[in-house]
Amino acid sequence: MKMWRSLRAAPSWVWPALVAIVILALPYLNLSYSATRQIELSCILALLVSGLNLSFGYAGQLALGQAAMYAAGAYTAGIMSVHGQTDLLLQLAVSGVVALLVGLLTGIPGLRLNSWSLAMTSFFLVLLVPDLLQIFSGPTGGSNGLSGLGAVTLFGQPLSSNGYYLAIVITTVAWFVFMRNIVTSRHGIAFQVLKQSDVLASSVGISPYRMKLVAYALGGIPAGLAGALFANLDQYISPGSFDFTLATTILAGSILGGSASIYGAAIGAAIMQIGPNESTAFQQYALVFYGAFLIVGGVLLNGGIARLGRNLIHRLDRAAAAGAGAAHPREPGAGPPQEVPQLSGATLAVRGVSKNFGGNQALSDVSLSAAPGQVTALIGPNGSGKTTLLNMVCGFYRTDSGEISLGEDRLNHLAPHRIALAGVARTFQTPNLPTGITVAEAVSSGRYAQARASMWSAVFRTPKYRRVRRADAAQAAQVLELVGLSDVRDTEATALPLGRRRLLELAKALIANPRVLLLDEIASGLDEDEVDRIAVLLRRFRDAGATVVLVEHNFRLVLEVADHIAVLAHGQVIAEGPPALIEQDPRVLSEYLGVTEASSQLTIAGEVAAITAERGEDR
Amino acid sequence: MMTLIWTGLASGAVYALVAIGYNIVYISSQTFNFAQAQLLMVGAFIGYSGLVTFHLPVAVVALMALAAVLVLAGLEERTAVRWVTQPDVQLVTTLGAATLLEGASQLIWGNQPLTVPFSGGSGVVSLLGGRLYPVQLALVIAAILLVVVLTYLSRHLKLGLALLGMAEDREAAILRGVNARRLALGAFAFSGALAGLLGLLVAPYTFAFATLGSSLALYGFVVLAIGGFGSMPGTLAGGLVVGLVETLVTRYLGSQYADLFVFAALILILFVRPAGLFVRARERVV
Repeated sequence: MKMWRSLRAAPSWVWPALVAIVILALPYLNLSYSATRQIELSCILALLVSGLNLSFGYAGQLALGQAAMYAAGAYTAGIMSVHGQTDLLLQLAVSGVVALLVGLLTGIPGLRLNSWSLAMTSFFLVLLVPDLLQIFSGPTGGSNGLSGLGAVTLFGQPLSSNGYYLAIVITTVAWFVFMRNIVTSRHGIAFQVLKQSDVLASSVGISPYRMKLVAYALGGIPAGLAGALFANLDQYISPGSFDFTLATTILAGSILGGSASIYGAAIGAAIMQIGPNESTAFQQYALVFYGAFLIVGGVLLNGGIARLGRNLIHRLDRAAAAGAGAAHPREPGAGPPQEVPQLSGATLAVRGVSKNFGGNQALSDVSLSAAPGQVTALIGPNGSGKTTLLNMVCGFYRTDSGEISLGEDRLNHLAPHRIALAGVARTFQTPNLPTGITVAEAVSSGRYAQARASMWSAVFRTPKYRRVRRADAAQAAQVLELVGLSDVRDTEATALPLGRRRLLELAKALIANPRVLLLDEIASGLDEDEVDRIAVLLRRFRDAGATVVLVEHNFRLVLEVADHIAVLAHGQVIAEGPPALIEQDPRVLSEYLGVTEASSQLTIAGEVAAITAERGEDR
Repeated sequence: MMTLIWTGLASGAVYALVAIGYNIVYISSQTFNFAQAQLLMVGAFIGYSGLVTFHLPVAVVALMALAAVLVLAGLEERTAVRWVTQPDVQLVTTLGAATLLEGASQLIWGNQPLTVPFSGGSGVVSLLGGRLYPVQLALVIAAILLVVVLTYLSRHLKLGLALLGMAEDREAAILRGVNARRLALGAFAFSGALAGLLGLLVAPYTFAFATLGSSLALYGFVVLAIGGFGSMPGTLAGGLVVGLVETLVTRYLGSQYADLFVFAALILILFVRPAGLFVRARERVV
């Protein structure tokens, strides 16, 4: 166990780097020709699988077009070579760009409908490869294949076969570094948020469409590189190398290694290359095998080899920690309450908004406003239109008529992620978080789009990227302290109990420094202590200048914290005013308690008190 | 010219028949069954074995194809679909089923296109100023008839309403006592039975060969994208467009351009009207 601890003390990139060095040194150990070739082909397949992982594993979009992008890269390099441009670096650069463009061109329409349309469009692309090669048979050689490629050079010097081996491995390693730097950065967290749900992603200002497109198109780059490397390997390419079987091999490699992993791609590819692809007898049964594997792997292999590896590491970590007597988990912050930073709320105004769902008038002519420094509660029975209104503010529904604005900005007709960027932060009734990220990461995802750092800056870990990353960590620490979650900052977010997850949602909304905070039934399902805690927090946010909108069933919380209450019933605002007024409003009483004006002296507060007392007795 | 249009209509009908299969499964379980066209292909191969190899009567072969593909589709639901909840993984497993069927067909029936006779005659007939084979006419009629019958049934049978309810709001339908799992299995089995039967009808026109599934799957998908997911009348409109584009392009530009133009049609529709011609864009629900 001691050894394990010292192994784990090294940064996580050390081990893949060591493996890479060993692979680089292999040719000097007198490896046979066929073994080197297997490694070269494994590297090429690893590039392809890795590109698919970016799109499928991280952004959740199945794409089969890697084979087509690979073909684009290979033919680009091949044609360049035939025309005398044999420099490898130049070929790699051009092939990578061409494959990226193919990705953009098919991704832009392919992502417009649903997750199937990208799969089918990219599948279609693979089918088009032989046709396109036939149509342009002049430069590509058509179905006969392209031959006559010149010997590959680097800086004007011809490359030996060992040299070319090194070039392949180094290119592959370079891509994996690139991939690792994206995936382990804040962009990687954003991908996981997106994969969890489009709604969740847009609520923190991520454009789902753009993000998926980026993942799919970037995944084209390694395919293009792989194509260029492949073209120079045999100095001959033909359409048969880019068929549907290859597309399924790539997918199988991805699932075997673990789609949502970095190095899983290399492992999956190596197994696919050295295992099934080795035997010629296998070719006949290839489709049957891959088909069966995709079914079994898809059903059973959730997370692939990478996940098994991660589980093992976790288990060893825990064993090692137990052996060492364990570092003590931090105590929950018992110090003085953290100062709430100044919040710049703006007025949220809803004017004359109506919404009709196929004959069902969900909202008619609703007007209300929420001011900074106030908690505005929106209450009403089930089906009264509260959630509909919330979804319209967030841009998930379009308004039929009327206007929604925040400060000076008009919100309706904006896309959901734009509304989030305009300063609308919301919490969800059912906290929805991706698995596998920590509490601190989940919270910092709230400011992903607010504080930008490009993917390139993440790849090269530029000073700007480091600055944003530091700010992410600092702000996350601050809001976590504020809501009292500092002690669990490094635990997995989905492992938190409901009450603490709600606090996490609150922290995630707060970190974006929103101009309005929309809380969707934040108290439902919580016990009294937890509700009290939320009440305290809400008052403090309000006092710091936030605009808080509370959509709530919990009357106690509403009466305790709201400065202003709007009551919705049957899609209309039936009453509006301070709590004291609302709890005596006859229409509200009849909606909520079914009492008529004459029948009783009941008030809502009285009713709530009675219910609370009853609950107390039950305990 | 009219002969050309008949050819286009017949091809379009084939693609529409595939799209109808997609729709049946999609409406009832919100699953996109990648293997639909491969099921139809298996039907075509069974047709060949029954009619050509064993000289069995048509009715027997039809029953065989229906039963065999029904079982295959049911198996697919039980193994590749039922246990998988995420849609992106379902796409992988149904693709796996498609690949498996394609590979197995290659092993059993080889790589050569096989001719399957059409029992309704093979003489050329003249209709509306164009010449066509009886099988082409049968395909067009089958597609239209199926759409009409399925649309009628879905509105007038309790089962059909349950299916529409499932498509509209899965949770609500389950709460109302609709057995979602049985419906999903039923839909797969039904679409399989249909695919088996239709394979027999499609094969005389397309031949039976191992990559028939892939090309039908893609063209069927384009039909679906044009008509709109879940829309039965949409499959006819989509089939019409795809069939005519393919036929006219093949005739005037050459067959290597057909896929390219159908692909272009897909891209175009995704740009202009991503939800398809017959489906209104639905608003997202949180």
